[in-house]
Amino acid sequence: MKRIGIFCCLLALSLAACQKTQKQEYSGAEGDYVNGTPLPPRQEGVSFFSDNVAKGQFQPIYFAFDSFEISPDEGKKLQQIGSFLKTAHNNIILAGFTDERGTPEYNRGLGERRAQAARNYLLSLGVSATRIQTVSFGQEMPVNPGHEESAWAKNRRVETGVVR
Amino acid sequence: MKVSLLAVLSLCLATTLFGENSSAPVITVHKGISEQVEVNQISGQAGVEATSILKNDIQLSGAFSLSNSATSTITVSGTASPSSFTGTATEKSGGVVLQKNYPGETRRTVHQFTNDLVETVTGQKGIALSKVAFVADRTGHKEIYTCDYDGARTVQLTHDGAISVSPALSADGRRLAYTGYQSGYADIYRIDLTSGARTRIVKFPGTNSGAAISPDGTRIACTMSKDGNPEIYVTGINGDSPRRLTRSRGVESSPTWSPDGSEIIYSSDERGGPQLYRISSQGGSGRLLTTGFGYNTQPNWSPDGRKVAFNVRNGGGFQVAILDLDSGSTRGTVAEGENPVWGPDSRHLIFARGSGLYLFDTVTGRETRLVSDLGPISEPAWSH
Repeated sequence: MKRIGIFCCLLALSLAACQKTQKQEYSGAEGDYVNGTPLPPRQEGVSFFSDNVAKGQFQPIYFAFDSFEISPDEGKKLQQIGSFLKTAHNNIILAGFTDERGTPEYNRGLGERRAQAARNYLLSLGVSATRIQTVSFGQEMPVNPGHEESAWAKNRRVETGVVR
Repeated sequence: MKVSLLAVLSLCLATTLFGENSSAPVITVHKGISEQVEVNQISGQAGVEATSILKNDIQLSGAFSLSNSATSTITVSGTASPSSFTGTATEKSGGVVLQKNYPGETRRTVHQFTNDLVETVTGQKGIALSKVAFVADRTGHKEIYTCDYDGARTVQLTHDGAISVSPALSADGRRLAYTGYQSGYADIYRIDLTSGARTRIVKFPGTNSGAAISPDGTRIACTMSKDGNPEIYVTGINGDSPRRLTRSRGVESSPTWSPDGSEIIYSSDERGGPQLYRISSQGGSGRLLTTGFGYNTQPNWSPDGRKVAFNVRNGGGFQVAILDLDSGSTRGTVAEGENPVWGPDSRHLIFARGSGLYLFDTVTGRETRLVSDLGPISEPAWSH
């Protein structure tokens, strides 16, 4: 009995050790995050650029450099969008953007991750996943074409398009 | 500096000697970093054009350097008509290294001859017939352009008037995949470069981007976000049956194939700054590749399978770094530039910087500007 106990202890310890190394060394299927609610099918004839999508109704959500975390202040903006979606029946498109630093393809991924972060926030407020599409433009279409932090801070954003 | 030059010299000597042993025929004289080649004026109706293309090919090959009769070890002469080229390469001793006739137009046939000469002398694949694709902003919209490896025959391929980016070429240079925003979303399109036929092959919800065509041309690796996070997927060449490879909280991007198609290296920021990971193209766990840099993006696997070129960021700009997969050691930064891609010889890189596209010899460090006057240039791809 005692031996079994020791064995179990060792097993638990080695498992813990395994997990730790995994977290340090590996990405991918093992030790992953269960990350995602699949996106709904796109709506025909509706995109961030189409005439039936209104932009500028909500303030952009801003991000720190190379980050997709939503700060408490930016979260308040998403709460406003969440309240709107509770009463309105519109669908929305969340478009992610980055500043010009970073290579273009990585920035397209980062922009999408920012849009998905905003989406996850709205999902946590109870908004249905079927109502939100995402798109990333990476470093394209900067709000401010400048090459300093004040410009970059404005460009690291998620914009909301409301489908009419 | 002296030490590294010596190392480069001995490495080249070793490579040359090894190449000589493994490919049985011909050449006997190998002395320096590169074979000294003298190009005589090519005769015939297309002789002037052929001479200038050939001289440029010899200079850009890396295997050779252009020289005069006093120092040369190989002399090249030939005849060019608009429909064929005959080239002859002889050693100082008079021995014929290569003599061959190529039917076809001048530019292509001269490139064929150069490649054959490189292969005969060094045993390595030449770069003279390869194709390059890239993004340029000349029209005010990002569009896809293609050109030859030496910057000749630059053509604007897309006229989408949207955002067309992230081109990838198949190994044979006949197919191109890219990310286009014509739908208002990022989708992956495939173009048959021979017929011009275009198909939208990956159009899932969210963002689809960063295509890389597998070396055998049957699969595409790319980033998709349809399941709720940007992750790496592998699909068929028509965008069919997508299979997810990665599962993380972060951003996965820029997959690049191993030469045998069994593995993929990509960039992921799940541990903070983007790092490189290596994963089976069937799935499984991504293994971290330690580079010593905090920001690692845009990996590109060399066709000989031994190296990965990638971007690191320092200060305002991007540098090109090379990771040696055999030893696991990183050869610091070798140049300033974005999106390095290997050529067929696993020796040259092409990358973008500002409004220039550059051919870079990783052995000598020599840089040659290929393209100008097209506005900002980015995201080159290179066929093998």
